[in-house]
Amino acid sequence: MTAPDRSLLPALTRRGLVAALGTTLLVGVASAHAGSLGSVTPVSVPSWLFALTGGAVVVASFLFTSLLTDRDLIRAVNERGPTVQAPRALALGRRLLAAVGVVGLLAVVVVGLFVPAPPVANLAVLLVWVAWWAGYTTTVYLVGNTWPALNPFRTLAGSLPTLDRPLPARLATWPSVVGLLALVWLEVVSPLADAPRLLAGVAVGYTLLTLAGAVVFGSRTWFERVDPVSRVFRFYGALAPVQRVREGFVVGLPGAGLLTHGGTEGVVGRRRSPDGPVRADGGVASTAAHRGRSLVSGGDDVAFVVALLWTTTFDGFVSTQVWADLAGPAVEWGAPPLAVYLAALVGGFGLFFGGYRLASALARRSAGSYVTSVELERRFAVALLPIAAGYHLAHFAGYFLTFSPALAAVLAAPLSPPANPLLVVLPDWFGAIQLSFVVLGHLLGVWVAHSVAFETFTGRLQPLRSQYPYVVVMAAYTMTSMWLLMQPYTAPPFL
Amino acid sequence: MTTEPTPTVEPTPTVSDDTASDRPPTSVPDGATVEACPYCERPFPTDRLRALHLGERHADRLTPEERATFEETEDEEIDDLFVYHLKVVALIVLVVMGLSYVYAFALA
Ligand SMILES: [Zn+2]
Repeated sequence: MTAPDRSLLPALTRRGLVAALGTTLLVGVASAHAGSLGSVTPVSVPSWLFALTGGAVVVASFLFTSLLTDRDLIRAVNERGPTVQAPRALALGRRLLAAVGVVGLLAVVVVGLFVPAPPVANLAVLLVWVAWWAGYTTTVYLVGNTWPALNPFRTLAGSLPTLDRPLPARLATWPSVVGLLALVWLEVVSPLADAPRLLAGVAVGYTLLTLAGAVVFGSRTWFERVDPVSRVFRFYGALAPVQRVREGFVVGLPGAGLLTHGGTEGVVGRRRSPDGPVRADGGVASTAAHRGRSLVSGGDDVAFVVALLWTTTFDGFVSTQVWADLAGPAVEWGAPPLAVYLAALVGGFGLFFGGYRLASALARRSAGSYVTSVELERRFAVALLPIAAGYHLAHFAGYFLTFSPALAAVLAAPLSPPANPLLVVLPDWFGAIQLSFVVLGHLLGVWVAHSVAFETFTGRLQPLRSQYPYVVVMAAYTMTSMWLLMQPYTAPPFL
Repeated sequence: MTTEPTPTVEPTPTVSDDTASDRPPTSVPDGATVEACPYCERPFPTDRLRALHLGERHADRLTPEERATFEETEDEEIDDLFVYHLKVVALIVLVVMGLSYVYAFALA
């Protein structure tokens, strides 16, 4: 741990970090550290070859998984462990988390607005990007979803009256899809990580909007159907090994929560009968009302999961030369830059959603099944979640490690932070670790899809044949996103 | 214009009981052959799939004939799976060798 030259550090932005990741992946080719004296001659692996390898890993993992066709064995792997009774201390823990959440939000607003520290020493920036979005999110999919307790907006909304106006049923959870895309757009087009005041302003705006929504439509409706942040954590939390159930907690393999079987024990995951259906419940529900509802229950949920995956890619895409070359002519032609970004975000989402729906329609055909393709879309969407989490971990594990000493130093003195806090310089081999997170996410995704296929289809060959279109789409996606990760960082133009 | 408030409902209607979710929603193309399950009415394109389904989902209520058909079909499925797995292994070898080949050329 050293206090390195500023110019060597990635910018304190998500985009900057994506760039840093891409560079470290080029093991030694364009080493970020110019002064790596006496290093061995670097082996140059071109980016297309990295991409090809990623695609091959996806295909090979499907091939290996297809060797396991014993339904009972597949179920046994996904079976959840015993239920741990939650002690009374849980209520106390919830209250403590709620307090932490509210104090954190307050700190972001107050420090962001009134403490004139640069981003790298600003508690508002470090709390939002390093502690919350990088660190906390990781705990949600690696440990369990604590957001319903921590969520400061929900805590604040709890002390307000509510009009309980109905949100039209036909909207389902589509508002949250729009909200997620809107948040990502805002994050990409504005310097949210470099401008503490702007960040605090956005936090205030988000608080007001959220509280207004909770007052009008009721806290439950708002946080379960509209608030994109709560929805992101709900889906990420379903991946975690620890799942909340009414009686306490259950522990299982990562991803097993995506495949919880239905039955009287509901989210606990013990099958009532061997015919138990796939019930991707996740046990993420903090309220009993969720019980019996699948994690992905309709086209709106599918769209949200696809949007979550697409946004992890979009971030990297806008900082490539390809994007600069595409956006340039559009802007010269007179299109407003912000609209160009929005069009790319929405268009790319449409492309991903369309691609996934097409793959599901083809899966119905390649399996030779009469199960509707809408049902296949719904059932297989959970397999995208580990992939999204893998990319998140790849992007933000290094980011968190890099800035965590700064976070600790600034936390100790938020109002008069050190001017130049310590940062960790990650070694070159960390790029390989990040790459392995991406691969792990894909492997888990292949396994989840394999398990869903064996619950949905009949015999042993039909489930395997159903996977061909998904494997092709996933291999194409992996190659694209790996290639994007390898591209040299180009600042997103016109912003 | 009616001002009657619509009750807040869960976003999407979902299967709530075992029997309904046990039988995923299906749609049969016009004019396609249908072999329906006698117990849960799930349609299948071939009687082979229906026979397998009977053994997988309704094992405890099969007639002796249905059981015999299932066991026979299961044997066929396992034989076909063996051939399938041979192809899978061949494909794994192909992927690994192909990739090594590309690496050897690209890094030469
Ligand atoms: Zn049946």
